[in-house]
Amino acid sequence: MTATAEQTPLLEVRGVSKFFGNVIALKDISLGVKAGEVTCVLGDNGAGKSSFIKILAGVHQHDEGQFLVEGDEVRFKSPREARERGIATVFQDLATVPLMSVWRNFFLGSEPTVGKGPVKRIDVKQAQGVMRDEMRKMGIDVRDPDQPVGTLSGGERQAVSIARAVYFGAKVLILDEPTSALGVKQSGVVLRYVVQARDRGLGVIFITHNPHHAYPVGDRFVVLNRGKLLGDWRKGEIGRDELVKMMSGGAELDQLTHELERQLDAAEAG
Amino acid sequence: MTEAIGGGSSAAAAPAGAPPTPEPVADERLANISLWVRLLRRPEVGSLLGALVICAFFWLNTDSFGTLSGIANWTDVASTLGIMAVAVALLMIGGEFDLSAGVMTGTTGLLLGLLTTEWGFSMWPAIVVTFAFAALVGFINGYMVIKTKLPSFIVTLATFFVFQGLNLGVTKAVTDTVRVAGLGDVPGYDSASKVFSNTFWSPHNFRLSVVWWIVIAAIATWVLARTRAGNWIFAVGGDANAARNVGVPVARVKIALFMTTAMAAALVGIMIALRLASVQAGQGVGEEFTYIIAAVVGGCLLTGGYGSAIGASLGALIVGMAFIGIQFSGWNTDWRFLFLGVILLLAVLVNNLVRHRAEGARR
Amino acid sequence: MTRLRAGLLALAMVLGLALFAAACGGDDDNDGGGSPASKDNVDLTQGKDVTIAVITHGSGDSFWAVAKKGAEDAGKQMGVTVKYSESANDPQKQAQLIDSAVTEKVDGIAVSAPNPDAIRDSLKKATAAGIPIVTLNSGAEDYQELGAITHVGQTESIAGEGAGQKLKEAGAKKLLCVIHEQSNIGLNQRCDGAKKGFGAVENVQVKGVDDIQTTLTEIQSKLQSDKSIDAVLTLNPDIAVAARDAVKGAGSNAKVATFDLSGDVVKAIQAGEIEFAVDQQQYLQGYLPVVFLTLYKTNANTVGGGQPVLTGPGYVTKDNADTVAKLAEEGTR
Repeated sequence: MTATAEQTPLLEVRGVSKFFGNVIALKDISLGVKAGEVTCVLGDNGAGKSSFIKILAGVHQHDEGQFLVEGDEVRFKSPREARERGIATVFQDLATVPLMSVWRNFFLGSEPTVGKGPVKRIDVKQAQGVMRDEMRKMGIDVRDPDQPVGTLSGGERQAVSIARAVYFGAKVLILDEPTSALGVKQSGVVLRYVVQARDRGLGVIFITHNPHHAYPVGDRFVVLNRGKLLGDWRKGEIGRDELVKMMSGGAELDQLTHELERQLDAAEAG
Repeated sequence: MTEAIGGGSSAAAAPAGAPPTPEPVADERLANISLWVRLLRRPEVGSLLGALVICAFFWLNTDSFGTLSGIANWTDVASTLGIMAVAVALLMIGGEFDLSAGVMTGTTGLLLGLLTTEWGFSMWPAIVVTFAFAALVGFINGYMVIKTKLPSFIVTLATFFVFQGLNLGVTKAVTDTVRVAGLGDVPGYDSASKVFSNTFWSPHNFRLSVVWWIVIAAIATWVLARTRAGNWIFAVGGDANAARNVGVPVARVKIALFMTTAMAAALVGIMIALRLASVQAGQGVGEEFTYIIAAVVGGCLLTGGYGSAIGASLGALIVGMAFIGIQFSGWNTDWRFLFLGVILLLAVLVNNLVRHRAEGARR
Repeated sequence: MTRLRAGLLALAMVLGLALFAAACGGDDDNDGGGSPASKDNVDLTQGKDVTIAVITHGSGDSFWAVAKKGAEDAGKQMGVTVKYSESANDPQKQAQLIDSAVTEKVDGIAVSAPNPDAIRDSLKKATAAGIPIVTLNSGAEDYQELGAITHVGQTESIAGEGAGQKLKEAGAKKLLCVIHEQSNIGLNQRCDGAKKGFGAVENVQVKGVDDIQTTLTEIQSKLQSDKSIDAVLTLNPDIAVAARDAVKGAGSNAKVATFDLSGDVVKAIQAGEIEFAVDQQQYLQGYLPVVFLTLYKTNANTVGGGQPVLTGPGYVTKDNADTVAKLAEEGTR
């Protein structure tokens, strides 16, 4: 299900910049994501991806430009505020506590309670039941309710974070390098979750440095390099190889290859 | 729960063009978990085993250990230790240490003593002031840890030295001696003793502190297992960043935990002051490590995020049983610390071994 | 598999403890009171099993080791079981140890009372249970009120005065009094007494017997920063040795005197490094209460006539050091 061009983007940044002292982390970034869409933000390490994601998540504030959620300008002072406006961020470290069980992680910060005053307690049965249902929707059957999250595989832990975000009514799901630490098969599984979230009507911002993972799921591609926007294409406007070349620094890599070949020649001659 | 637009509720009804969603796969690696294994996974396993073994050992080897008066003796020793061990365990689960916990039992006792014998307070108002003081100290400890971002080990070590010095200096300056005495004559002493430090069940003389200990351990267990605050404590200790990112108020939780240990120290300080009708300036110094050991024996990880209030209580019980048990056995007390050390080491080892076996392969 | 392992572990722990107990249980007085007829020496127990609990506030240092030997020797010679324990200066622990002695229904309790308030309640329970009490070492002013038959020890303030006077006579002008146990009232009384007998006395707090190295450094820096100090009075034999080394290290001419003896202190007196030691004869403080309590139990004897039994001050100087030296080596002086 694709969004129409007239729909207000769920999340949009216009001309956003971020400075740390006199270091320019981001300069003049503009992009957005609509409901039911996946926007891929690509960039190598040091491109400014992590500063960007922290602004979206409410950890930092932007220094220039506008940050809009559903058309309203916002300025988040804490991750909690971002969360309350429906922006769910799944960080690289997954924001799950490894020693705690899956259901405790799932409901962390939003535990369902029953009772009042001093006897207010967590509704454990409900929490465990809901967690199991939601995880089943992601394709995982969690049999042991007290299983610590740390015993799940990387892909499954991603699923927990994503399922949690979706359940708590996230409108925008921001995924920070979800496949970076995973093997090939697990990455495929996570990409499937991304698509599922999209199909349930969320807007997904998928941040990665791997264009091979981004290409199959993205509706829109944005490339960051050293804090600046290199380009912005819809799917169909750019081919996979071109994207890869753009990502890997294109011209710079060509020159490096040249240099290396020349050294090799010199070595052989000498 | 919002229904996806056009996506349907079932995973199978995927829109055209998207990769097919999988059927839920029962993870064949998750074998059925038996109740026995689930029990063995609990953090209290080592301390329970240790406590049972030691209890049985002294019960069978001495005449007095198993008598009601004997039980009164070792529960007496375990109780003040246990109250502190539970509070310290909560803090450790939350990922922090409080090295000033021991000396605080002295500071609060001395404050109570000075307020009543030197500055004219009667007992109950002095008790209120003492608790308020402890809450303030706990708040300052927590606030400093949060603001400086230094390890709590360091911050509370500094607090420890400050209070160790104050305890001696102020006491000497005010009373010219190294202790505060005469609490027995203060108005309100008798009623306060009835609440905090008297004994019950006459010939055997069980101490009230045992009742306090059991109640506090029960409340702590309930908080950890069944309340939102408990979930937050585990999260803050396990991964403070992750907790913060999902909106858990990390600073508030940690400060509250420091206030808890300080106020528990006040309770224990008051109990001891009332019991002995006097307070020595050196009270409590050195005990902070016993509290931590009891918590670790009870299953608390030094790195935080995991542990048990019941386990810490059992750890304190082990120390209490060993202390009195060795007395009753008439062993050469030179070996007392060796024995205690061996027991505690065994309990921690058993903890680790059994839990690892029960959990199977872990990352 | 898990069940089996857990069971094996528990079994291993029990076995381990049993072996440990067998090994340690052997070398103490546990079997001392078994059958009096099999022991030599005077048979005063008349076929009864007598157990005396000796509960001091010591911390396992060389001073208390001598007192402990005294108590244990008395036990062997009287044919009674002596249970010696220490509270390491923790008044609550001392109260709890007394409580457990009452639970065991021992035949007599000998306690040191540096903090009489703390143990008053527990001693009351002992008296109510019909257990006689003798105080030792500290508590000379309170022993009657605590219900003790008598007190075996030395009056700290008087001993302190005597020491101060002796140092004054030796020509010293400024005295440093070294307190090694922060909450020990008796030690403070000694220094206060020394002030009376000497005049210009300054007290200094040191780390204590648990950390002699730091104590040494603390004394040394004090001497180096205040050159007018020409006499040092310590209150413990281990601290005395540290003070002697500190004086050497600071290049000071200060005279060193101490309370209480040890083998090293006697040697130092013989070598002229320490002027004198005030000996409270702590061996007697361990020995005599055991004897008194046993006689009370078996022969209804009360010793003291309502007065304390004084074990000091005795002075060990170069003149009598040789005699004492050998005994100190054996740990009985």
